[in-house]
Amino acid sequence: MAFPMDPFSCPPLWTGGPDPSGYYSFPQIQSRNASNFKGVSAGLKPQAHSQYPITTGTSVFGVKYKDGVVMAADTLGSYGSLARFPDLRRIIRVNEHTVVACSGDYADFQFLQEIIQQKQIDEDINGGGVTMKPEALHCWLTRFLYNKRSKFDPLWTTVIVGGMQDDKPFLGYCNYIGVAFKDDLMATGIGMDVAVPIMREVLDKKGVNEFTLEEAKDLIRQCVRVCFLRDCRSSSRFNMAVVNKDGAVVEEPTVVDTNWDIAKTIKGYE
Amino acid sequence: MLGLSSPLMPAKPALPDYSAGAGPVEHRFNPYSNNHGSVVAIGGSDYVVIASDTRLPSGYSIMSRTQSKLFPLGEGGRSVLGSSGCWADILTLTRLLETRAKMYWHEHAKPMSTGALAQMLATILYSKRFFPYYTHNILAGLDENGEGVVYSYDPVGCVEKFKFGAAGTACSLLQPMLDNQVGKMNLAHGNPEAQMDMEEALNLIHDLFVSATEREINTGDSIHFKIVTKNGIEERTIGLRKD
Amino acid sequence: MSILSYNGGAVIAMKGGNCLAVATDLRYGVELRTVTTDFPKMFEIHPHLWVGLPGLASDTQTVLEKIRFRVKMYELQENRPIQPETFAAMLSNMLYERRFGPFFIEPIVAGLNPHTQSIYLCSMDLIGNVTTPEDFVVGGTAEEQLLGMCETVWSPDMDPDQLFESVSQALVNAVDRDASAGWGAEITIIEPHQITTRRIKTRMD
Repeated sequence: MAFPMDPFSCPPLWTGGPDPSGYYSFPQIQSRNASNFKGVSAGLKPQAHSQYPITTGTSVFGVKYKDGVVMAADTLGSYGSLARFPDLRRIIRVNEHTVVACSGDYADFQFLQEIIQQKQIDEDINGGGVTMKPEALHCWLTRFLYNKRSKFDPLWTTVIVGGMQDDKPFLGYCNYIGVAFKDDLMATGIGMDVAVPIMREVLDKKGVNEFTLEEAKDLIRQCVRVCFLRDCRSSSRFNMAVVNKDGAVVEEPTVVDTNWDIAKTIKGYE
Repeated sequence: MLGLSSPLMPAKPALPDYSAGAGPVEHRFNPYSNNHGSVVAIGGSDYVVIASDTRLPSGYSIMSRTQSKLFPLGEGGRSVLGSSGCWADILTLTRLLETRAKMYWHEHAKPMSTGALAQMLATILYSKRFFPYYTHNILAGLDENGEGVVYSYDPVGCVEKFKFGAAGTACSLLQPMLDNQVGKMNLAHGNPEAQMDMEEALNLIHDLFVSATEREINTGDSIHFKIVTKNGIEERTIGLRKD
Repeated sequence: MSILSYNGGAVIAMKGGNCLAVATDLRYGVELRTVTTDFPKMFEIHPHLWVGLPGLASDTQTVLEKIRFRVKMYELQENRPIQPETFAAMLSNMLYERRFGPFFIEPIVAGLNPHTQSIYLCSMDLIGNVTTPEDFVVGGTAEEQLLGMCETVWSPDMDPDQLFESVSQALVNAVDRDASAGWGAEITIIEPHQITTRRIKTRMD
């Protein structure tokens, strides 16, 4: 039968069509389907809030340098284990001194993006010259995400806000529970395990105040590269964003430099 | 049945129901995270010191090495809250407390006393009795006589007043030594009423954090002190091991 | 509640300069009800070899009897006292034999060789994984409290009196913060030519 009568599987995309959750492995779907609700008839299935992310973005990275911040995120949207959307923009420019980058559920990010951009439009119209600074946006995000989780309906996303707060670089983190902090360097997801040590190594030696834009960009490229090599949910195309006193720029995607020379020496796969 | 279903013309399958059910709502997501951390406070005759580590872990990764868990409360007040547990809840709770202390200040034109803050914190924590703030709190401050006092809480607002205390992940490692050295427990010639002087308290807290960091993986990076006297709040930071 | 904390208890062994201290609390309880206050969990195999068996009391006694039997067999065969290293290996093996149905004890072994004056300390988990630190080992329901105390109290090359004071303070203050341990303590100082066992009073609550 095309649709197993399990009340917790995804609703069918179309009659007779495939059930995507049957084909791709989503991070938390096993534990979800393993549950067996007794006493709930199939007709009265419980309403499930978003319990796991669907289309996901992997790590994002951010680092401060002496005059601003540099951030990066690759452009892949993963659908479980499927590399589904190769060209998603996961860093958005909010205004001339704020950018927001996101990992986790991309739909939740688009929902957030809509609200943030509307806030910016409202402010452009009614703000009277007051602009949304990164610290304010970060603070608002912590409250928004925390309140959603308190309603047991979280936005399954981790955001990094970067920008210039009164001529000082700002970098802030917030996840779907509402855990938030500010620091000189940060990464989300697997990047926290593989890229943060690289960034700490460099910044412990140099210090943010000595760190130049080119050095920061090199460092971020290195982080994107190791994550591309080690993270199965990453891609080689990535966006980089720079915010400093000259404004906020999200650059067009570039590609991680890779070296496949050695591939020719491997025999048996011609 | 009016021939809707006959052997020659089988009925069309009904459209699947996409609407959200009116039935029970499934709540399975875990809204808490444990971000650990340890807090120690010691009160003396004219001061109180409170200290926390500055590591902010999540699982086995260290999100930040520089996150203090101490929050000065009340406009111009002499109270500091140390809080560990679910960092999201800590941020929310401290924001609420700061706002309430500020409202008090605007209403009464004086800072909230440590005792009033202590009671307010207990009430706020208990107001979330059935969806608690997952936080372990220690409130340090000066009482109306300028003497150091320490209030210790459980996550749902059970509170007791002490002269010293520890909270957080390493509290079981820290508390016995505080009992011994500050409370003069099990000492033949110790006077439990004797007050510890400030330098002694700072050194003891340093030693305790060094010891706790040896054995507790979620405590480390550095110690952040806040030293409260009638003249104000002084800050200090001392490094700990980072592994 | 874990089986390991069903009866409660705390043990500790600490190294000094040419001396060694072992100590235990005296409580025997069933969950939170105290039954006896004369139940040491640190046992003398020889004057210079001690083993602590904190955990489930019935396993403490069972394992102790098994150990005594094996030590006697070893010594009848070898005609010499068992060495701490050998003893620890034997105990570790004995625990691992029960890998999938373990004895619920987390032993510590402490020995001093009166001839070479070398000191052996080790602690194990319930299936016999051995660690041999250079300073002290602790076990039982008050383990965390003991670790916190010992890390602060321990210093290298303490003489027997200093060692006694350190171990007593560590144990007593630790068990005062553990509802499942305490109710008296027994501390033994082991020197090459002298063994001193003292019982000390503690809070009885």
